[in-house]
Amino acid sequence: MHIDWWTLCLQAINVLVLVWILSRFFFKPVAAIVAERRAAIAQALEDARKARVQAEAEQEKAQQAAAAIAASHADVLKKAELEAKAETDAILGSARAAADKLREAAAADIARKRQSDAAALADQASRLAADIAGKLLSRLPDESRITGFVPGLAQGLSELPETVRRGVGAHGAPLRLKAARALTEAETEACHTELSKALGRPVDILVEVAPELIAGLEIDMPHAVVRNNFRADLARIAAALIAPGAKQPELPQSGQEAR
Amino acid sequence: MNSPLTLTPLFHLGPVPVTTPVAVTWVIMLVLGVAFYLATRRLQRIPSTAQAILETVVSAIDSQIAETMQADPARYRALIGTIFLYVLAANWTSLIPGVEPPTAHIETDAALALIVFFATIVYGIRALGLLGYLKTFAEPSWVMIPLNLVEQISRNFSLMVRLFGNVMSGVFIIGIILSLAGLLVPIPLMALDILTGAVQAYIFAILACVFIGAAISETAPSRKISSPNTSH
Repeated sequence: MHIDWWTLCLQAINVLVLVWILSRFFFKPVAAIVAERRAAIAQALEDARKARVQAEAEQEKAQQAAAAIAASHADVLKKAELEAKAETDAILGSARAAADKLREAAAADIARKRQSDAAALADQASRLAADIAGKLLSRLPDESRITGFVPGLAQGLSELPETVRRGVGAHGAPLRLKAARALTEAETEACHTELSKALGRPVDILVEVAPELIAGLEIDMPHAVVRNNFRADLARIAAALIAPGAKQPELPQSGQEAR
Repeated sequence: MNSPLTLTPLFHLGPVPVTTPVAVTWVIMLVLGVAFYLATRRLQRIPSTAQAILETVVSAIDSQIAETMQADPARYRALIGTIFLYVLAANWTSLIPGVEPPTAHIETDAALALIVFFATIVYGIRALGLLGYLKTFAEPSWVMIPLNLVEQISRNFSLMVRLFGNVMSGVFIIGIILSLAGLLVPIPLMALDILTGAVQAYIFAILACVFIGAAISETAPSRKISSPNTSH
């Protein structure tokens, strides 16, 4: 086997020259542009990473701001809720107070109205009772309108305080005696006797006719009145009925009233 | 057809005879140089189709170097890439009628193997230092020194003979069939030669990577090299 050493040397030189040529015109430029592109891509990735980090920071900031706004919103809502509740309570309180006042006023009006109605009713009833009593008494004997009332009247007079009794018929002044009708002489005498006995001294009486008494008598003094008649009884019964929590009134024998 | 074992000078440059492989190599150098010069004149960041192909080639070479040598491919790219492209171009010149590939002559393959041999030594000394590189021959034991020295020569010799045998045999077969059968019959074998040429170029470049990679590492070359099966 023959080897051409010239050819071998030339080929070795050729290959080394080709190494230089390809390195100069192929490998270095292409590798450089690839490296440049990789660097650009790396730079772009780095920029993108920075932008992402910045965007994440901005997003976090925005989330914090949103959270702060939400918290502030919640605080404002809570505060407004508390204020609204307080205002509602105040309005409700004032409304309740006003309603209570109105209710009390209405209750007072109702009570007054009821009282006036009851008074009117009692007055009407007393008038009716007086009419009834008058009509019923018209069927009884006429002396029953006077005779039965004399002892009670005398008892009422005797129960007056001593100072009042002492002034009755003093200085010769007659005792004013009202009667439901004109008294007969016998009745006048009976009254004179009983009243003198009650006072413990004789006393003059001056009889006045007062049909509104219906039946009975009444002594009219400057400082006191002694009643023993149907009118007074009816008035007492009506007053007892009108009074709140009134019980069934008892019919009194006679009554005194100081002036 | 001339025997590939003999070379006839085409002309002489003074005392230097210029043979066919040298002339064909010059043509290949001219074509590759001009083509790559034109192709890389206006490289842009957004590549054209041609630029994308060139970048793909360079990236593939870089990837193979990095995987084989476990090192930065920039330092070895020019040598390994040029060996690959030159062997590939030289092998494929057999497709041109009347042109014998330079790699079908032992002188070209020997030149390539010698370059790889010296590159192995240069890169090994540069990486480990002279003493460090020489120490790798005494691993795992000083007894292995003769074997490692023989291996340094024999593996480059096998590199040379492998390429020569494969390409030369392809040329021979096509020549014989062409002389016996006719014009169109060798076409399938020529198509096969395309594949064979590419495979041989790849194997030569990868083995060069393996040899250099073993030299720049700190362990014995014989323990690191795992040559692929390259029989044709």
